[in-house]
Amino acid sequence: MADLEAISHSAICVHDLREAEDFYCNVLGARQGTRVNFKTDDAIRGRSVHGSVILEDYLLALMVTRDFMPMPPAEQLRGAHGFRHAFRVRRARFDEITNELLRRGIAFEGPVEHPEKSPFGASIYFKDPSGNFLEILWRRDEDVNYEKPYVTGVG
Amino acid sequence: MDGISHIVIEVADLARAKEFYRLVGFELTSDNGLPECGRSALFRTASGQAVILSESSQPRSLPETGVHQAYRISISDRNAVAQKLAAWNVTVHTYEEDRPREKGDNFYFYDPDGNRIQLVAPSGSPDGSAKILGIDHAAIECHDVEWAEDFYVKKLGLEVDHRVGWRTDDYVRAKLWGEGKEHMAPGTRRWDHRYTVMEQKRRLPRPNTHFFVRVGDAILGIYLATQHRQEPPEEQLVGTPRIGFRAGCQTIERVTQVLAASRMPMKGPVEHQNSALIAASLYIRDPSGNFLELCVPRDNSPKLEDRELRIKQIT
Repeated sequence: MADLEAISHSAICVHDLREAEDFYCNVLGARQGTRVNFKTDDAIRGRSVHGSVILEDYLLALMVTRDFMPMPPAEQLRGAHGFRHAFRVRRARFDEITNELLRRGIAFEGPVEHPEKSPFGASIYFKDPSGNFLEILWRRDEDVNYEKPYVTGVG
Repeated sequence: MDGISHIVIEVADLARAKEFYRLVGFELTSDNGLPECGRSALFRTASGQAVILSESSQPRSLPETGVHQAYRISISDRNAVAQKLAAWNVTVHTYEEDRPREKGDNFYFYDPDGNRIQLVAPSGSPDGSAKILGIDHAAIECHDVEWAEDFYVKKLGLEVDHRVGWRTDDYVRAKLWGEGKEHMAPGTRRWDHRYTVMEQKRRLPRPNTHFFVRVGDAILGIYLATQHRQEPPEEQLVGTPRIGFRAGCQTIERVTQVLAASRMPMKGPVEHQNSALIAASLYIRDPSGNFLELCVPRDNSPKLEDRELRIKQIT
């Protein structure tokens, strides 16, 4: 087993780096990471145009695609095969966040209530300006201090 | 900042360059026009802006980059210039532009020293004066676009007009350029040799990041340099090539404070006793070492005494 320690980052594809940074930083509240291809050294090394945004310790790399990607239809707010990035917020702030998306005119599906036994309380589904599917949810167990996780079927 | 006051460019052979610029439609005003330009010639445009040719053994004209100077001229005068250029075997280039305002119509050529000149024909410009009407825009290089934006926008207080290099659209156009389908201006697109071992042999067309800021009625373009260039020594604060911005005393005062707070070096404000054009200048360098000048025009204030008093206060 490779014994991985944590997820470091995901890279997602965007059509417009500024627009994506504005969305992740000013709408969702991530902080701005570094950008590549704005220095002469990047040009000399032939690096691609990309940037990053950081949420807590998780980094999303925003890669500008060299060609236009097929966009999901405007009304489709959930990925075809469930592919998405999900962000967690505290239950007390969930309504505030959905109201913020409403205020900004960002279409979302939900809130969808999860079954009582699910660790998730409710979710909304939406997408970023480049059509990447996203989710925001709150967890029923947000106040539970778990002990060291026991993983079945390992060892 | 109210606009561009003057541009200082470098030429190898002053006599040859003077003749060329005169024939293009610039009006030679003096052979010693502006302080700190060395052996030079000063041309005036109809708007009163100045273009100064400064003699240099190795002119930094950077013809293969985004660096250029754009002047306004009437369409009929530009047609006349086109005929002259054809007679001298000077090639006129037109490019697929990025900035919306330049898309429909553009006209570029090089002076004998490799300075790229663009002639912009604004609609409704007066006809047949056979003169260059004014400075439309100028473009320079930087080695860090984010740093440059911080300097020109946050410190000098200019507004961004347009950005290139952030979008898939810019990549798609770079691809068309790479395939030879779109003819794009030097410095706007580039061939990258990818550094990963796997794709070492692949060349990839990419947008070269650049942006434009508004300076009054003019534009300053700032292009990412695709190679490092020797900068003048750090302690040198005045030099050529240079761009001069027209500014009021208050703007100069504010910029002086902002730059001092960032510990950026500057020279001045220096009062010019003998210049008919400018009353005082503040000489600065941007973070990439480009020489800039903020200057108070001689005729800036309606009340001469007020203006002189202000200059005394800030010098």
